Amino acid sequence: MTRAQLPDDLEALESQSIYILREAFARVEKPAMLWSIGKDSTALLWMVRKAFLGEVPFPLVLLDTGMEFAEVYAFRDRLVREWGLTVVNEACPPESSVDQSLPPAARHAARKSAGLRALLERERYGAVILGIRRDEQAIRAKERIFSPRNSDGSWDPQRQPPELWDYYSTEVPDGAHVRVHPLLHWTERDIWRYTQAEEIPFVPLYLARNGQRYRTLGESNITFPIRSDADTIEKIVAELAATHEPERAGRAMDGESEDAFERLRAGGYM
Amino acid sequence: MKQLRIVMVGDVDAGKSTILGRLLVDLGQVTPAKLAELESTSAKRGVAIEYSFLLDAFQLERDQAITLDLSRIWVRLPQRDLVFVDAPGHRELIRNLLSGASEVDAAIMVVAADEGITAQTRKQALFLHWFGFSEITVAINKLDLASDPKRAYETRRAEVEAFLAELGIQARAIVPVAARSGDGIVKAGPLTAWWNGPALLDALTGIPSRVPDPTAELRFVVQDVYRRDGKRFIAGRLDSGTMHVGQRIVFWPLQTSAEVTSIVNWPAQLDAARAGQSVAIELNSRIFVDRGAVASAVGHGPELGRALQATVVWLGATPASEGDSLRLRLGTREIPVTLQKIEHVVDHETLEPRPAETIGAGEVGVVAFVARESIAADAGFEASSLGRFVLMRDGAVVAGGRVDAVIGRAKGEGATNVIAMHSSVTAEERARRNGHRGGVFWLTGLPSAGKSTIAMAVQRMLFERGRHVYVLDGDTLRTGLNIDLGFSEEDRAENVRRTAAVAGVFADAGFAVITALISPNAQDREAARAAYPDGFFEIYISCDLSTAERRDVKGHYKRARAGEMVNFTGVSAPYDIPENPELVVDTVTHDIAESAAALLAFIEERILV
Repeated sequence: MTRAQLPDDLEALESQSIYILREAFARVEKPAMLWSIGKDSTALLWMVRKAFLGEVPFPLVLLDTGMEFAEVYAFRDRLVREWGLTVVNEACPPESSVDQSLPPAARHAARKSAGLRALLERERYGAVILGIRRDEQAIRAKERIFSPRNSDGSWDPQRQPPELWDYYSTEVPDGAHVRVHPLLHWTERDIWRYTQAEEIPFVPLYLARNGQRYRTLGESNITFPIRSDADTIEKIVAELAATHEPERAGRAMDGESEDAFERLRAGGYM
Repeated sequence: MKQLRIVMVGDVDAGKSTILGRLLVDLGQVTPAKLAELESTSAKRGVAIEYSFLLDAFQLERDQAITLDLSRIWVRLPQRDLVFVDAPGHRELIRNLLSGASEVDAAIMVVAADEGITAQTRKQALFLHWFGFSEITVAINKLDLASDPKRAYETRRAEVEAFLAELGIQARAIVPVAARSGDGIVKAGPLTAWWNGPALLDALTGIPSRVPDPTAELRFVVQDVYRRDGKRFIAGRLDSGTMHVGQRIVFWPLQTSAEVTSIVNWPAQLDAARAGQSVAIELNSRIFVDRGAVASAVGHGPELGRALQATVVWLGATPASEGDSLRLRLGTREIPVTLQKIEHVVDHETLEPRPAETIGAGEVGVVAFVARESIAADAGFEASSLGRFVLMRDGAVVAGGRVDAVIGRAKGEGATNVIAMHSSVTAEERARRNGHRGGVFWLTGLPSAGKSTIAMAVQRMLFERGRHVYVLDGDTLRTGLNIDLGFSEEDRAENVRRTAAVAGVFADAGFAVITALISPNAQDREAARAAYPDGFFEIYISCDLSTAERRDVKGHYKRARAGEMVNFTGVSAPYDIPENPELVVDTVTHDIAESAAALLAFIEERILV
């Protein structure tokens, strides 16, 4: 297969992400990856295949609330077929089981943390690989690439380990796990440029139809489209170069209260 | 174009986050909605608009108006993105500052005009120096608090210049700013109208991004070995230099070499790998390579030794003392080391070395440590990625370090210019005279599986047929050559390494060598292969644990079960069953005569010319 050579900056980003994935696989017992089927974790999944020469050497998990868009489920089935994937669909517990003091949309999002917690308790994964980025959100901007979690899945942002050069902290106590974030150093625009250069498939909801597109894909009941005419990746990249609207503006849970996202993350949210 | 990453340092409350917040606002990169939110969260805490809240996202940070952890802020400019890494200035958060400094291209030091260079600033500058920053940009902030901004600036400027000169750091620019009002951040303002130099943002243009150096020595760091469709791929990253198909490379520390036959960036095949690229490669020979190895070009290897002299920044809560056992991570290798000597600690105040017994958290010290294995390293941060390391204790990173020198070269392997002599008699000549080739027949299996018994029987049979044969028996070797070794994982590895080296010499001399060692560790056995790669055969003497325990030839199982022997393979220490042995001899279903006959036939077939 021949593609044009990646631009230097994307090649550097890709190489670092592949390095991180291989470190996670070599140093941590029993890793697993969360695939939300969005643009970021799908680009990450493509890099997993590049890192491991066409294979996905660890379980691929969808935390399923049953509330994803129909197009998302259809895309999942297509990629499972085309890439020969094995996906674990982990059903998340109902909203009534999560912290009721959270605002409504955050409560909904917390179902995913609860699903993840149940999964970890059952499967005892040593590492959870996921596609979050620092430029998405101010709390995520403070993340480490290898970020240890306590045994209850909670994050202690005031006691993050040093992360010098490429020496990541992979040791976790029994029952705890480490979150691995290979895309932390990417931006939204990088992801789209990479998706285009590598011809990675994506859910069509990201492209504008009738003056609207989804910039981010969460559950269908708490995610809203933005006004946009970007019906190609080129136009999305141009749109992102011009806008200063935050990427997650369409996520109801982020802005419900000042500390909503911090509380979600401390409780184990992605 | 590649982004420019910049770390912000300065004492707590010098205004680092405010400068960044202001930069975002003045460049129009904050939406009206976000600004409104900022105003309301600021009002809620009874302060005028607080730009730092754009970065300080944690509740605690906002409530206490401080930065707790590193944050990264993207600023989009027409030419390239700037990524600011905002490092907290608190004393106890030095680990965050160092994490930030290790990932960036450039540094900005913020000095508050009303405070000047504080003890904390001195310390941070020392770290920047340690990290190899030879040039930084300085912002003199809070000129809005000075009655005469120009004079306040001039005073601090002189102070900063003198201090940096002491450290040997150049100031790229020393810029006057008042972050709260925005003067001098993106452009000059009323408070900095007298200033002819650049605004802070302008001072950053032209700083190059650090990129992996294609002209530096080839260093390919091995992360893993993958097998796909019967082929072996060595996965890793080319940290510096270039590497092409057809090139001969040397793997360290074992110093085995092979030719690169393919370079893969799946699904593409490459002719060459570029500096910084993650790839997987294939080799033309099955030399032993594993995670932790690093490859170089022939004749351009790293230095090899058993000890390092290094400058470290200590981060652990417990201070470091001489004699401490630590784990060294260098490249992808992780090995146990002992902190042998603390030469001195650098005093933050005077920047002079002072003798010390311990190195405490946040201190910089010059130390020496020794390893039991050879370390392949390069001196200095600039040389290659093998010049920097971390130290671990109890699974946590407790120090970052820079290699200053590789010392204590190991006997017979230290110098890269030692080349094995070519023998005046060739292997072919020996084989012709002896009527057979040499070879290493490596028996492995549980205690009482039958290794020694079969080895001795086959030795007799080969001897009767006129073959040159010798048995290296594990227990016998432990009474002489390996008398200093115990049964820890490290000692077992050394036991295997020495035995393999001796076996290699015998095989080279034309002997069929049969070794009889438990050799429980698969990696050790794989490493042994390198001692005689042309004729090494792994032979698994297979016997299940309960049968072996029933035999208990030497009564060891019984003693191990009673707790009288520790690290006993099969009982209290693991045994890795060979994955792809060249021969399996099952001593449960075959008696000694049958087993010996099978091994005899196998050896004869391999050695007869």
